[in-house]
Amino acid sequence: MMRGPKPSLCSEVTMQRRSGSFPLALAASLLAAAACKQSTPEKSSATAAASLPDKIVIGATLPLTGAEARIGGFYKEGYELAFEEAMKAGGILVGGKRIPVTLQLLDDTTTQATAVSLADRLINVDKVNFLLGTYSTALVQAQSSAAEQNRIPYVNGGGAATAIYQQGYKWIFGLLAPVELLADAIMRWLDIQQKSGKLPKPSIVAVVWENTSHGKDFRNGVSEFAKSHPGDYQVVLDEAFELNAKDFSALINAVKAAKADVLLVDAHLPDYITMQRQYVTEGMCNKVLSYGARGSEKQAADALGQKNVNYVLSAVWWNSQLGSKGLNKHFVDIFRAKYNRQPEWYQALGYETARSLFTAIEQADSVDREAVRAKLASMEIESILPGGKLRFPAEKGQQAHNPFVVQQNMPDGSAPIVYPPDVANAAGVAPRPDCKG
Amino acid sequence: MARGLELLLSAVLLAGLYAMMAYGLGLIYGVLRIVNLNHGGMIMVGAYLGWYLHERAGIDPYLSLPIAAVVGFATGVVIYGGLVRYLPRGPAGGVQSLLLLFGVWLVLRNVAYLQFTGNDQAIRTDYSTKAVVVLGSALSLNRLIVFALAALLLVALDLLLTRTYLGKAIRAVAQNADSCRVAGIDVERIYTFTFGFGTALATMAGLLLGTLFPFNPTFGAGELLKSFVIVVLGGLGSVLGTAVAALILAIVEVFAILLLPAYLTGAVGFVLLVLVLIFRPGGLFGQRVLG
Amino acid sequence: MSTWRQFIPEWLSPAVLAVFVAAAAVLHALPYVVALSPYDHNQLTLAFLFIATALAWNWIGGFAGQISFGHAAMFGVGGFAAARALQMQVAPFWVPWLLGGLVAGAYGLAWGHPTLRLRGPYFSIATIGVGEATRLVLTYWQGFTGGASGLALPINAQLKYSLYWYALYFLALVAIASYAIRNSRLGLGLLSIKSDVEAAADVGVPVVFCQDLVLFLSGAVVGVAGGIYASYFSFIEPSDMFGFDRSISFVLMAVIGGVGTVFGPGLGAVVFVLLRQFLIASYPQLYLGLYGLLLVLVVLFEPLGISGLIFRVARRLRPHRGAT
Repeated sequence: MMRGPKPSLCSEVTMQRRSGSFPLALAASLLAAAACKQSTPEKSSATAAASLPDKIVIGATLPLTGAEARIGGFYKEGYELAFEEAMKAGGILVGGKRIPVTLQLLDDTTTQATAVSLADRLINVDKVNFLLGTYSTALVQAQSSAAEQNRIPYVNGGGAATAIYQQGYKWIFGLLAPVELLADAIMRWLDIQQKSGKLPKPSIVAVVWENTSHGKDFRNGVSEFAKSHPGDYQVVLDEAFELNAKDFSALINAVKAAKADVLLVDAHLPDYITMQRQYVTEGMCNKVLSYGARGSEKQAADALGQKNVNYVLSAVWWNSQLGSKGLNKHFVDIFRAKYNRQPEWYQALGYETARSLFTAIEQADSVDREAVRAKLASMEIESILPGGKLRFPAEKGQQAHNPFVVQQNMPDGSAPIVYPPDVANAAGVAPRPDCKG
Repeated sequence: MARGLELLLSAVLLAGLYAMMAYGLGLIYGVLRIVNLNHGGMIMVGAYLGWYLHERAGIDPYLSLPIAAVVGFATGVVIYGGLVRYLPRGPAGGVQSLLLLFGVWLVLRNVAYLQFTGNDQAIRTDYSTKAVVVLGSALSLNRLIVFALAALLLVALDLLLTRTYLGKAIRAVAQNADSCRVAGIDVERIYTFTFGFGTALATMAGLLLGTLFPFNPTFGAGELLKSFVIVVLGGLGSVLGTAVAALILAIVEVFAILLLPAYLTGAVGFVLLVLVLIFRPGGLFGQRVLG
Repeated sequence: MSTWRQFIPEWLSPAVLAVFVAAAAVLHALPYVVALSPYDHNQLTLAFLFIATALAWNWIGGFAGQISFGHAAMFGVGGFAAARALQMQVAPFWVPWLLGGLVAGAYGLAWGHPTLRLRGPYFSIATIGVGEATRLVLTYWQGFTGGASGLALPINAQLKYSLYWYALYFLALVAIASYAIRNSRLGLGLLSIKSDVEAAADVGVPVVFCQDLVLFLSGAVVGVAGGIYASYFSFIEPSDMFGFDRSISFVLMAVIGGVGTVFGPGLGAVVFVLLRQFLIASYPQLYLGLYGLLLVLVVLFEPLGISGLIFRVARRLRPHRGAT
């Protein structure tokens, strides 16, 4: 399946002019370049299916420094765990042989331009076979164009915005369910509380979101749910804030004035900590409080004190409490054996992303990019993700839509799952009992 | 109405901190005619210093203030003596000093990055989330302490500048360095001292800011710009001018929430800066020199 | 020899012309003659863009002496305007770039006209404010920038490949403009404004017009670069386009190469890009500090950066020439 540049009049013209005089060359090449839609970039030829490589190299960048360094580091743990597991078995099974697989990981410093340059480098200089994704929507979005242009499978567990998957890309696969579903999961739990009379009807809702696509999607999820349940929820405050803002007092004051029953926030960890600290200091207490995907982090409990994170709801893509049997238990066990602590959703997604790519390669029984892509597109495997199955549905732009799990912080330090009912190990508490008046 | 009072109290507390933050910048510009772009860098250093001492040695951040002052002063003296001294003074040196100090800031940022990683840090003490009820609204204990400390420092500063010989010398040099030289004042020493002093103020302000907000190596940029707004608004030098300007900025920022969506309140400071620069570069008090 | 010299305007040095033509020819032919990997091809495209922006920044920062720490504002405005036009499929594709440039230039003029009155550090500080305010407000204005999620453009692999030549000729035009401005009456006027604005006004230099014009041109060029950048990445977002780091990069490139010299900033841009390339894979955390160090060294020892070093060496080699 070798491919070369398409022969055309254009390339002949431009080749001829190479030795000509400068101004003519200028005019001709500009014309040629402009008129010439045929000229194609040098295509890295897909490896012939016939011969097996002696190793498989998978490239990836992660934000190991920069704003997302903490989470980048977690994803790295997940990736490395998956690679280690594969290598324990000798490698990936292709064509009856175990081929060693290695990870070529670079630091994209949480910068879009760097992420794209490094992806370009991995593909065209290091000549990796496949790509695993980076973390954070903007970086994944930028890198996905590079992957799509170079026609190389790009499997990521770090980009949740639906916008990435609505561009008709064929080579991009996402494991992270959209953030709208995150908001939706929380709203559904609220709905259950409302139906059993624990929350007023209509419930006054204030939604505050970081000004990123993550935050926007969260807010859309909330407002969509409220719209489809008219009369049950009244959104009185809908405000955006800048990522990594220092001072939320203006915002907190607005929330206070709104006198909401439910406060829904979408924020990253540092903003969660800052905002919650100011929230508590102001003596605020809403019936239900959620910080979107944040809430149960140990770092937050340490920074704020357990008392100040009680009853906070959060919804995540995976939770170690799902790990009672099967694949999940296996993952939790090997993670704890290697890192000596409990995994969170970041490492789980990293691990599962790599594992799904390995599976696709084995299913395709080759390292041919198109073959692996096809297997990813039609994949349906057992997974550690909630719901138990992993697929990349074409109708959703090849973005997995596994459900979220909602958890709630309890005073004893635990954070049981409260939704969906089939995996819940507690009903959850609403309204929170520790508000004074 | 209660909301208005709450916002006002918020603004007043914020203003104290802003004033202290801005003063160091104003001092250096007033005397040396140099815009210290490293102001943000030293604020960041102050925050990390407080955090480090609290984490490793368990020292309460407010008790680390003297340490921050000393470290800041020493750093300022080194920066002046080793780098700034060699720049041409006056308009020709203006651009050069901007770039030089900016370079120093970048280096400091990188050093902090390598030492502490880019993750956000916060100084958390036992009383971080305690609040005091004043006039019906809950005010963060931290903010009250910071306000009190800032106010004290500013008063001390004012006394220094007006009552001591050193203060007089500084003001004299600010007005006319050449005639001071002729009069026998060691201008270079005054410059060194002032630069160190301004840097110390920035470092202390950084420490106080660190007790209120989370920070990382990029901390200080926003604070730098706010300091500019205050310095330009308040004119240079008078503590009163700085305090009033800080109050104005704080009030505008805090009350902007009533008019603007929360997200845009961050832009208020910058827009104010540009407007003030365009319409009243001499500041509200029309002063350009210390005095 | 003197006959063909007649065809070249007197302000144009034949040596410079020869070097320029040779360089353009070599760079134009490079991808055909040398088998460049797509990665190198792309990196060169970006390098051309950076060099062009550094040269343009220098018009206001170096020629006029007004250091701008907020040029990312125009870069972003131009980039997003071009991206919107590209999304609406305004054809041919270089029209959106021009559009972006015009919008950016106009924006520069809008905030520049009142602030250029300020001298020295006051202007620079104002530019920091403009840069940050632009970033915040435009990130909020979703209709224009798509908010924090940014704008995605349809992928066009053939276009990305030929961007090399578009960027190259864009750079050529900017280089010609740089040289022309410097050697024209405008350049002379700017020089006099830089030295002593009051004296310049006294002598009859139209200070406001000159500064406004130069800021407009500088902003427009940077805006076009933003548009080409958008086409290159097929995706742009506000924090990258309007970020303070982006503004800083323009300043750094020009200072390292030689603020105020004609082509110095171009050299600075090359160094900047090479340094990034070198560090990006192994020590990505060091480049900020290194730039800072370079800045300090340049200011203290060689205010004209690399150009200054070259001049020194040239003086050494040709002791009979007069002062540059």
